[in-house]
Amino acid sequence: MRLCIFEDEGFELLYPLTYLRPVFNLKCGQTTLAEKILRNFGSVKTAYFVRDYLEPLMKEKLSPAKVNDMNVLKDDVLLANGRWLFIDVKLTLDGPEEVATCKNSIVFARLKKKTVDSISAATFREFLDEVKKKVKTREISVDLISYPWDLVHHNPAAIENDFKHTAKPGAIEGEFSEQSVIYGDKHKVFIAKNAEVQPFVTLDPREGSIFIDEGAVVFPYSRIQGPCCIGKNSEIHGAKVRFGMSIGPVCRVGGEVEESIIHGYSNKYHDGFLGHSYVCEWVNLGALTTNSDLKNDYSNVEVCMKGEMTDTGLTKVGSFIGDHTKTSIGTFLNTGTVAGIMCNLVTSSGVMPKFIPSFTWFLHNRFFKGYGLEYMVQTAKKAMSRRKVEMSAEEEKLMAVLYKLTKEERTYWIKKSAEQ
Amino acid sequence: MKKVVARQLKVKESEIKNELDFVKNLGADSFASIELVAAFEEEFDIEMDEGAALQVKTVGKAIEFITKTVEQKK
Repeated sequence: MRLCIFEDEGFELLYPLTYLRPVFNLKCGQTTLAEKILRNFGSVKTAYFVRDYLEPLMKEKLSPAKVNDMNVLKDDVLLANGRWLFIDVKLTLDGPEEVATCKNSIVFARLKKKTVDSISAATFREFLDEVKKKVKTREISVDLISYPWDLVHHNPAAIENDFKHTAKPGAIEGEFSEQSVIYGDKHKVFIAKNAEVQPFVTLDPREGSIFIDEGAVVFPYSRIQGPCCIGKNSEIHGAKVRFGMSIGPVCRVGGEVEESIIHGYSNKYHDGFLGHSYVCEWVNLGALTTNSDLKNDYSNVEVCMKGEMTDTGLTKVGSFIGDHTKTSIGTFLNTGTVAGIMCNLVTSSGVMPKFIPSFTWFLHNRFFKGYGLEYMVQTAKKAMSRRKVEMSAEEEKLMAVLYKLTKEERTYWIKKSAEQ
Repeated sequence: MKKVVARQLKVKESEIKNELDFVKNLGADSFASIELVAAFEEEFDIEMDEGAALQVKTVGKAIEFITKTVEQKK
């Protein structure tokens, strides 16, 4: 039996978060969607299927697991949709052959070798189509992540669920200053080894658990409200960390943050508010960058997805910020803003546009091409080297692929903004 | 072309000489440089490779670069 975690066509509605990573590597809570699926099955041979342009990078990152290798489909398999938020799910590798769908998307398919062998398909996409035709499907109701705001919406519950799997409740393995306080049930707090909570910090687990991972440092005058997880080697600089924050590894966080996911290796060091947002890797939010997550008329927030404004059905939605994007001091992000990857947002006056195409500079209320791909990649390499991380050759190649992929959209917005 | 430079960098057209450096002599910072490239593209209806365009240091070299790009377009 082999477990296969796959991306379906849903990755496009999760742009810009998924430009540089497959859907199953998105975070919700402390861990990625894939990590939640994997921990359910323990030690099992796993393979992955991703869109073509991610394949070289994912082969590098997920090695020795097979990626996009159709030869793994020669045995009993359990296919699991990488958008599945696998919380409190009971699913076993063994069991009857079945295909479960949710709103037309395959959630999982448990297939016997005989069925797998009977399917002739050149690509995994074709394979899935054949599965739907050959095996009777049943509709189930699960949480499939469809839009970026779904990750944020489910984040507090996901942190709580992850805490059950990853924490040693009540253990303080790192340093906890006598001048700091846990204001609530101590068993809802875990401070891992080499983590440090300095004086005058309040950990408030009354509404949810708090996980402070190895090497993380919480500096004085920080207030951390659960549910919250702070990743390895991250720093909290006197911040108000409010309900529902996931902070990945090697982040620096200050100011006021609430119900957001900061994937990892990103900085929001200074004052300013970040709420109901997803921030990808290598992002830097300049001092006083602030995002709106609630409209003044309390109406639903609309977000630009695939060129169309989409009603989120939610009144609290912040910003979705792609990898390597940077904001200047004093940047204001509108409610439901989507900023692509590798952008440079420079405040002029007022709020930023609600959609910012990848690889652009926004300056004096207009989009520009900026200094071009080569310069942007060099800047990204500099930023990564500051954290002792090297951009791989495959990552660099992927940047070039994405630069081409997003060119039409970028050209359109640059032209449109010049005409205004 | 000098009209575009004068407008974008807010200098007198008569003061713009071929040997002047955009950054050192005309005060073009990184933002102004990017806006200048965009202004050239719009003025001459061309598309320039931004990396190559921003390597051009002087007014004279910019004239050469843009002339070449316009000719390539024909």
